[in-house]
Amino acid sequence: MIKLATYLTKNRAALFVVGLLLVVFLAGYFLMGQASFVRTTLSGLTIGSLYFMVAAGLTLIFGMMDVLNFAQGTMFMLGAYLGWQFYTNPTFLFGIAPLVSAAACGLTTAAVIRPIVMHWKVSEQWQKRLPYILYAAAALIGVLALLGFDVLALSKTAMVATTTADPLAEAKPQELLSTFWWRPVLLILAGMVAAVVYARPGDFTQTVHRGDEKRGWIIAVILLALTVILTLVREAAPVTVLLMDGNWRFFLALIATTLIGAGLGAVVEISLLRPLYIRPLYQVLVTLGLAYVLRELAMLLWNPVAYQMVRPPMFAQPGEADTLWAWFATGNSTVNIFGVTFPSYRLFIIFLGVLMLVILSLTIGYSRLGMIIRAGVQDREMVEALGINVRRVFTIVFMIGAGLAALGGIGAAPFIPVEPGMGDVFLLQAFIVVVIGGMGSFSGAAIGALLIGLARAFGDYLALSFNLTPAIAEASTVIIMAFVLLVRPAGLFGRKE
Amino acid sequence: MENILEVEDIHTFIGQFHILEGVSITVQRDSITVLLGRNGAGKTTTLKSILGLTPPRQGKVIFDGQEINGRHSYDIANLGIGYVPEHRAIFRNLSVAENLRIAERKKGDLERKSEFIFQLFPDLKRLFKLPGNHLSGGQQQMLAVARALVADNKLLLIDEPSEGLAPVLIEQMMEAIRQLSATTTILLVEQNFIMASQLAKNYYIIDDGKTIHSGSMTGLLQDETLIHRYLGTAVIAPGEKK
Repeated sequence: MIKLATYLTKNRAALFVVGLLLVVFLAGYFLMGQASFVRTTLSGLTIGSLYFMVAAGLTLIFGMMDVLNFAQGTMFMLGAYLGWQFYTNPTFLFGIAPLVSAAACGLTTAAVIRPIVMHWKVSEQWQKRLPYILYAAAALIGVLALLGFDVLALSKTAMVATTTADPLAEAKPQELLSTFWWRPVLLILAGMVAAVVYARPGDFTQTVHRGDEKRGWIIAVILLALTVILTLVREAAPVTVLLMDGNWRFFLALIATTLIGAGLGAVVEISLLRPLYIRPLYQVLVTLGLAYVLRELAMLLWNPVAYQMVRPPMFAQPGEADTLWAWFATGNSTVNIFGVTFPSYRLFIIFLGVLMLVILSLTIGYSRLGMIIRAGVQDREMVEALGINVRRVFTIVFMIGAGLAALGGIGAAPFIPVEPGMGDVFLLQAFIVVVIGGMGSFSGAAIGALLIGLARAFGDYLALSFNLTPAIAEASTVIIMAFVLLVRPAGLFGRKE
Repeated sequence: MENILEVEDIHTFIGQFHILEGVSITVQRDSITVLLGRNGAGKTTTLKSILGLTPPRQGKVIFDGQEINGRHSYDIANLGIGYVPEHRAIFRNLSVAENLRIAERKKGDLERKSEFIFQLFPDLKRLFKLPGNHLSGGQQQMLAVARALVADNKLLLIDEPSEGLAPVLIEQMMEAIRQLSATTTILLVEQNFIMASQLAKNYYIIDDGKTIHSGSMTGLLQDETLIHRYLGTAVIAPGEKK
């Protein structure tokens, strides 16, 4: 708080912006009347919380690794789908989990075989051909592994469950272990064949770091164990999850989605970004390409139709709770707060956003990891020279970003239509948030998300009450961005370069 | 083993550029060795190559009996090498305390070493809670050296500690480095020849990415032609900035 005060006195421009917003805010309070003002502010906080969860990862990843992660919105979209699937009918997730784990396990062997493969005698001509041949072989094995595996039918199970309201009937695997077991086995093999390409056969000039081999073994063995476990629980797990109490299932879905999102983040960082740290522009292109691929994949798996996740029971009882305390007991769908009726689930989203803000602020401000992140934003090389494994910190930061976006996604699923393009809007707004706050600044992302969320809500209110086009709400965020950039080109909390 | 560090004919590329074209250095234990040479000769790249920040493509680096070339930088640093980069690269957005804390390799490193650090650089004790960007240039340089002392390092790589410092601060820095050399080995890059000549026992001259001369400092001081030929620009009075 004192830091913020000293910051504001030192930065007149920021003080000016904040002051102006305060004036607009107060004017709104007196012009709109208390009820609509409170409702609009709460709506703004809700949407701001979601923006924050997407933008926090964006700004941290940019600050630390100089990567503009275009896939952040896709993580949000995937989070919504994953959460919705997990909550409604997790058959699909448990059905493909062993396969994904198996392929990842195969790919991680790259680090193990690199020291051998790099010394193969491969002529220059074959060095060009071999990757294509190996990729083709891996793809062939992959196709063999998935022969007769009807992933499209599997992915639709949750949709059927939504319409028939009898998820248990749908929560059974398509095939038994006796015919399933060879799929993960073949996928491990396919991953290993592709891993040979990653290990770059014949390229003895590549730097092989000692210790990589050992780490590669450890990760491969862990993933192998995970594959085995996931293969074994595949049949029983969906039913077990569905028999759980709805609220617990929801919280389990929150945690599972965050973890899966973080895991996906790790996979993306290690397999796609890590080889490209010497070519930053390529990294941006890779994340952009990944965003397109994953969106098309979502469209293929779940059709370009919008779904809505059912709210968990504790936010779904009909009626209105008089106070927050009363809501704890009743689980009403709306709560009376500051004299207005507001959906209880949206209050939960605000709570979730604030909780994440507090956890992340404490982590970044006071933990050793946070110290390393703050130092790494400024000078990666020096952090490494102190004996800290910066690459691993990169992976962790990417995991935090992806996990947070996925958590935002499942949080949004019960009140924003779940569809393949839902991430794009949030990515755009998150970019605006990050630009306003200052690229790479975490507190900037928090303030920016608050500003943009409120601007959105008040813009919507304005459009509605004066019968204007809703485009005014969308324009308001861009206008704020333009204004902030005019006054402070590096953003509110940005570093001057 | 007498030599703590042996660099054997390393070649380093930065992008397409062949920066080091055969640098060989031997650093004796518990002494100060200085790298001399013109700007852009490859002195900083040599330090970075030892640490693996710009990994050498050919050649060997042997530290404390182990071959370290090809390892990750953090692995190399963790073997006991401290690095003080040029331009006082402290973490400006971290406090002085955090700048030191981040260099810990074991919990409690800072507590064990703080007395020693504050005795070398008494100013830091007063500034302990301040953010790094509130420090003056000289204080930042002290902090950068202090940061390398938090963990137990057997070798310190110090890059131009006197750069841009006022004469009185150069004196203080020299005194600190002299005291440090009693307990650790130091490989120093220094443009300020007077400072270098007073501190170092051995010297190497790097020119165009190659080590072209080496020997003991006393020998170099008597060879004026050599000094003028390769270090012409480097011979300046303490504190004077080119």
